[in-house]
Amino acid sequence: WSVACIKPSVCLSQVLISRNYKGDIDMNEIDHFMPILMQKEEEVDVSPFVAHGAVHFLWIKHMVAMTKNNANAALVFAFLYKIVEVFKEYFKELEEESIRDNFVTVYELMDEVMDFGFPQTTDSQILQEYITQRGHKLEVGAPRPPATVTNAVSWRSEGIKYRKNEVFMDVIESVNLLVSASGSVLRSEIVGSVKMKVVLSGMPELRLGLNDKLLFQNTGRDKGKAVELEDVKFHQCVRLSRFENDRTISFIPPDGDCELMSYRLNTHVKPLIWIESVIEKYSHSRVEIMVKARGQFKQRSTANNVEITVPVPSDADSPKFKACTGSAKWVPEKNAVIWTIKSFPGGKEYLMRAHFGLPSVDSEELERKPPITVKFEIPYFTVSGIQVRYLKIIEKSGYHALPWVRYITQSGGKPVRY
Amino acid sequence: MPYLGSEETVKELKRALSNPNVQSDRLRYRNVILRVIRFMTQGLDMAPLFMEMVKASATVDIVQKKLVYLFMCSYATLKPDLALLAINTLLKDCADPNPMVRGLALRNMCNLRMPGISEYIQQPILSGLRDKASYVRRAAVLGCAKMQNLQPDAEIDGAVVNELYGLLRDQDPVVMVNCLRALEEILKKEGGVVINKPIAHHLLNRMKDLDVWGQSEVLTFLLRYRPRCHSELFDILNLLDSFLGSSHSCVVAATTRLFLSLGSALPAVQSGALERARGPLLAACNAQSRELRFVALCHVQQVLRSLPGHFGAHYKKFFCSYSEPNYIKFRKMEILVELVNDENVGTVLEELRGYCTDVSPELAQAAIFAIGRVGQTYSEKCLSILTGLLELKQEQITSAVVQTFRDLVWLCPQCSESVCASIAGCEEHIQDSEGKQALVWLLGVHGEQIPGSPYVLEEFIDALKTEQSPAVKLELLTATVRLFLSRPAETQDMLGRLLTFCIEEECDMSVRDRALFCYRLLQCGVEEARRVLGGPKSDPSLGVIAGRPEEPINSWAGDFNTLAPVYSREDWAALTATTGGSPSLIPLVTGGAAQADLGSAEEAEAAGSAAAAAAPSPPGPSEELCLVSGPPLSPELFERRWLALEPSRRVSLDWPGGDCLPETLQAALQLVNIQALALSRPHARPWKAYLYAHSLGTVVLAELLRDTDAGGLQVTVKQDPEREEALSSFLTVLKTVMQTLLNSRASLSSHN
Repeated sequence: WSVACIKPSVCLSQVLISRNYKGDIDMNEIDHFMPILMQKEEEVDVSPFVAHGAVHFLWIKHMVAMTKNNANAALVFAFLYKIVEVFKEYFKELEEESIRDNFVTVYELMDEVMDFGFPQTTDSQILQEYITQRGHKLEVGAPRPPATVTNAVSWRSEGIKYRKNEVFMDVIESVNLLVSASGSVLRSEIVGSVKMKVVLSGMPELRLGLNDKLLFQNTGRDKGKAVELEDVKFHQCVRLSRFENDRTISFIPPDGDCELMSYRLNTHVKPLIWIESVIEKYSHSRVEIMVKARGQFKQRSTANNVEITVPVPSDADSPKFKACTGSAKWVPEKNAVIWTIKSFPGGKEYLMRAHFGLPSVDSEELERKPPITVKFEIPYFTVSGIQVRYLKIIEKSGYHALPWVRYITQSGGKPVRY
Repeated sequence: MPYLGSEETVKELKRALSNPNVQSDRLRYRNVILRVIRFMTQGLDMAPLFMEMVKASATVDIVQKKLVYLFMCSYATLKPDLALLAINTLLKDCADPNPMVRGLALRNMCNLRMPGISEYIQQPILSGLRDKASYVRRAAVLGCAKMQNLQPDAEIDGAVVNELYGLLRDQDPVVMVNCLRALEEILKKEGGVVINKPIAHHLLNRMKDLDVWGQSEVLTFLLRYRPRCHSELFDILNLLDSFLGSSHSCVVAATTRLFLSLGSALPAVQSGALERARGPLLAACNAQSRELRFVALCHVQQVLRSLPGHFGAHYKKFFCSYSEPNYIKFRKMEILVELVNDENVGTVLEELRGYCTDVSPELAQAAIFAIGRVGQTYSEKCLSILTGLLELKQEQITSAVVQTFRDLVWLCPQCSESVCASIAGCEEHIQDSEGKQALVWLLGVHGEQIPGSPYVLEEFIDALKTEQSPAVKLELLTATVRLFLSRPAETQDMLGRLLTFCIEEECDMSVRDRALFCYRLLQCGVEEARRVLGGPKSDPSLGVIAGRPEEPINSWAGDFNTLAPVYSREDWAALTATTGGSPSLIPLVTGGAAQADLGSAEEAEAAGSAAAAAAPSPPGPSEELCLVSGPPLSPELFERRWLALEPSRRVSLDWPGGDCLPETLQAALQLVNIQALALSRPHARPWKAYLYAHSLGTVVLAELLRDTDAGGLQVTVKQDPEREEALSSFLTVLKTVMQTLLNSRASLSSHN
């Protein structure tokens, strides 16, 4: 496969920056692409694949790749997303503004990530050594070539030094639920990820021990509090063969932030915050909403920053609220009431009532019926019960390093239909 | 392109660039260059500044260098004469002590797409290939491909190809992958890079060092390699097994494709691979990015073509979530319909019903049609849902439901009663012509069961003047005549009005013709008309045909993880028809350095012995009857000649049983100096092979064709120029080889 050129096209307006990597496609081909996107009113409904003549356009927000070959579709999209990610690491947000302001860096990056239609270096840590934001200031004399230019381990460069050696590890879990209108859980899964921030000198060798059920079975330990992980995926640095053999997670970490692993559990879980709602719509006069939220997790845990979004008709007006805790707010541009509760202890139950007026004339349009959504964060708690048993750090200089571990459970996409 | 006001800007920039004061102040110099690039990005023509920019490339500031290189690459094609001036600077940079500068200069020099550049870049590329910094080697390796790309007609440089094959062993993983990419590009005409056993094993061992892109591409290259024996095959499978669990869906998909291809003759391997890939594929269906989700869904559909029950237990994963774009929801609905079984039918239908009231009319309609498809098996449940939808009295929904009813009634006659009971009153809510057609058809065919049918039709007839669609009128004519046959008393009057209008006032030819036809048919008498229009009211046998048979995995395995699955099959056929290419043939050409790598010691023993037996066996092999190995023929050349020549002879060879492996056949033929250009995959029908050989100054081209398992092998031979002896000697040798292969296979199978 070969991506011929990449164009961060922002908001469908026009092509901002383009690059013809291979030269086998006329750059004017892109002119066929834009009208196709424009035809559709809503960008989201255009298929990500558009073909014109012999050229295929594969596009995501902000980017489009063109190819004439029968390319590997998943790879092209993965690559486009990777570039977006790299750009975001450089300029925080990928918007027309930021691209215009930083076009030199964009050109430099596009030069490094791909050559002749083939992806080259896309690891942002390494790219940051090639291309620094400081590049805009003037450096006198030739800079020292980064070590990674000649490095063996592609994700970590040699000669990193810190005064204080530390590793921060976050175990973040979220519960994805699909709840039917009748209140039964259609589907539930726990999606977890282990994120790291590595502040370590040299080439450290790390080993992570989890309460993995298969590992416990292998070693004959009693499997009381073990967790059966499914669909585990690792960062490139983890030695997959060792994990396959004896479930050991060993790796040389990249410097800075990375997602070490992700996993999924298909266990049946009940919603952590259960929502019951009664929405009564009296046409032409008013709408009455009653929402009840119950914390269905351990009493000693507390959910923070709970945000419950309840949709209301777009033509509703004059809101009145009564919430026994937290505060409710009408957000007309989202056609919703947002009920926020700063701290929500487990086992508690709260109630909120809202009242809206409706115009006496019916609107012609069909109303969308978005689901009620809940956002929250429960620290020091994982739904699956996964635990980090140890994190060993070995480096040949023998320094002492501190591992820090945090657990957080977040709300996933949790739509409750009504 | 000229741009208003650009002239002034160019002049000003030109002054600034050549101002010695600016040049001596690095910061100011770079800022001016920045402005040039900014204007270039905005589409202003900055080509007149080429000279000044070339001068600016002589700097120690690496960012400035990059900017100038970018400028040069953009305008080099417009100003080739001036670009040559830049080459000196670039050449100097290629020898810079800083590897970053070396790599940068080399890469950009190769990017100058202009004629005549190749003579300058050859030397730097060659030294770049041996550079000690991997950064430079990466650029140099791809530089080889770019050079070939600049002059596609030039001879392939064997030395470079050898060097690249050697660099496959490079320490740096990106250099290695770039070598594969470059060789593929350079040897495109000869069928691409050759993956023999040592290379394949080397690649397999390096897999874990590669980044995601490298892994996916190496997996694709490995598709070309056929393991020699089962134990090797299983070793490869074991080695790659962990990549099925990779965190990147593109690697998972590439691995799955490779497994499917490796197991093309071993169904157990294929189903095992799909089994292992199920989890990752399902996870990809819930990926963060909706594009990846879409791609995954398309692949799920592809798998379902062969294994309908494969995702049955996971049907809930395909429930749509509110915020997904429509193209994903459409795919999910199609998948849901395929996953319906006795246990989940209730839940799935409940879910689909939720989509029927979606804001998007297309989506709602698709959901209703989906329920209709489920209804072909579970008619009762679906009918109650569809009838319930009619009560919403929504235009789009009613129309879609009536269309679904029409199709259901045709396929499942048992539905007709409840359908007839429920469609009363629908006519008020149908506005579009498809819906009207469906309703009119139902009224005509099942009119005697619907109490008010004549009056509904009468309304349509009264509104005839305002009806736009000829299709509705055609349907109306047939339906009214049909209804007249079953309920003459109520219908006669309006039929008369309808026919009068359509014959005398209608402008559309087809409608008028149909009206005349109906009129004459009725003149022939009622019995005659009944005989013509009566016919069956349903055809349940069609439903069986509509349920697709399971396709063999191999029919789509080759397309897995390409662009093909994301388009519908018709679209894809249309797209590929314009670009050409025959994906069913595996090019097997070996050329140049590759041939040296393919040690004959590695050829399968069976093939060797078969061919060894064949070679001396032609009776009385005199000097002129021998085939000689000649210059290799490229596939394009072969195709041109093949199309140009008339067949000299056609013969049929006896060939019972299955196919032999392409390697075996190829190896055997090669020993007698017959070259195999391309072979179909084993078990493909029709199976084809294209061969050629040189003999007595002529070239013999042959096609082997096998249409069915039972039939023999059809051999078509063409020759250029004609020479009878060469032709017959070719056929004798070919027959002997095939015979020997047959014998050796027979003895092998008797051993087992």
